[in-house]
Amino acid sequence: MRCEIVPPYLLQRLASLDDPTFAQASAAARHSLLVERPWRGIRSGESAPPTSAPRVPSAIGRSLQEAKRTIFDAQNTEDLPGMKVPDPAESEDPAVTEAFAGLGHTHDLYRYEFDRASIDDNNLPLDATVHFGRDYDNAFWDGERMVFGDGDGVVFTRMTRSLSVIGHELTHGVTQYTANLVYSGQSGALNESVSDVFGALVEQRVLKQSVEQASWLIGEGIFTDQVEGNALRSLKAPGTAYDDDVLGKDPQPAHMDDFVVTASDNGGVHLNSGIPNRAFYLVAEALGGNAWEQAGHIWYSVLTGGILDAHATFAEFASATVDSAGADASAVTEAWKAVGVL
Amino acid sequence: MKISVSRSGGLAGLTRTWNVIVDDQPDREEWMSLVSSLPWSSRPRVLPQPDRYIYVIRCSRRRITLPEQKVEGPWRELVNRVQSAAS
Repeated sequence: MRCEIVPPYLLQRLASLDDPTFAQASAAARHSLLVERPWRGIRSGESAPPTSAPRVPSAIGRSLQEAKRTIFDAQNTEDLPGMKVPDPAESEDPAVTEAFAGLGHTHDLYRYEFDRASIDDNNLPLDATVHFGRDYDNAFWDGERMVFGDGDGVVFTRMTRSLSVIGHELTHGVTQYTANLVYSGQSGALNESVSDVFGALVEQRVLKQSVEQASWLIGEGIFTDQVEGNALRSLKAPGTAYDDDVLGKDPQPAHMDDFVVTASDNGGVHLNSGIPNRAFYLVAEALGGNAWEQAGHIWYSVLTGGILDAHATFAEFASATVDSAGADASAVTEAWKAVGVL
Repeated sequence: MKISVSRSGGLAGLTRTWNVIVDDQPDREEWMSLVSSLPWSSRPRVLPQPDRYIYVIRCSRRRITLPEQKVEGPWRELVNRVQSAAS
């Protein structure tokens, strides 16, 4: 019997359950999915499905599976996905092994710290392409996969060298499946900031670094030795990550007084992200300990809680974090006040 | 005539600009032919993808903004030529 009241995302989750207790429901859900319009992921810019519906908690059998990782090699073309790498864990190509390990570490952060089954919370396989383009100084999330360039060897080395960059790209996928923040203006800067925050947390968790021990840098190690700089961005001190003759100085603002109004970069999404980045750091600093166990949970609940508008402003996001902070609400409020948002 | 290619966005959020004075180029006629063949009035619409580059190409009074994914065909040829002639 076709059950139309069950929304497709819930059917999808039921269909994936591998606990024998739910075998019948799982089979029925799979059948229903077959007769329904085939499920597809949300694409950037589309509305996310409502997330206020009841979750199927892992306590009653939702499966949190191992990461299913596949690495492809674009062989310095821009053709995606590229050639599948047969055994990435054993590859002698560092771009392949770094991407493979980075996907695993990011998957583990979401799985073990936030009870999330991959980026879609439904065990979506993780695909990455390395060696994209020639001298390509960039990495991006195209809605389906992470894509990494080798760098030009003059300013940038290969993008996979930084675990925070890999975590950043995968988190764009998580955002796409959850708050789906529109990639422009303040909501775009929040989209960027969330990727920086969880990218930093992936790295801190692997390195077992507390708030005090962590570098709070994004992209450490992807500049060549010729560049005067440590990384692309600093959450702790936006605007200080690099200061180079050729690249200039890190232009990120750390306070609303310095908010950058520009048409470039989708309205400065990589610039103004410095403001919410700094707010997250201040919350983490106030709460102490390991950031992924404290401040990270407040941010994660806002990102995935179905409470944010896709066009959310900094102030709306800030209010949502205060509302989600429970006993830590005053520390969160102070952090956003310190960067001029509240 | 000057052609300017400005690339913003990308994971690093670094803006780079390349300029070429066409009149100074040895193959000036080829440049002029390429520039006149470009679909300046097209407005390709794609949803922004995280961390992708955005190109702004200017030539005299003409100007176009293209997401990286749409820098293809003659636009790709122009961008490649400007980048190699400027560096």
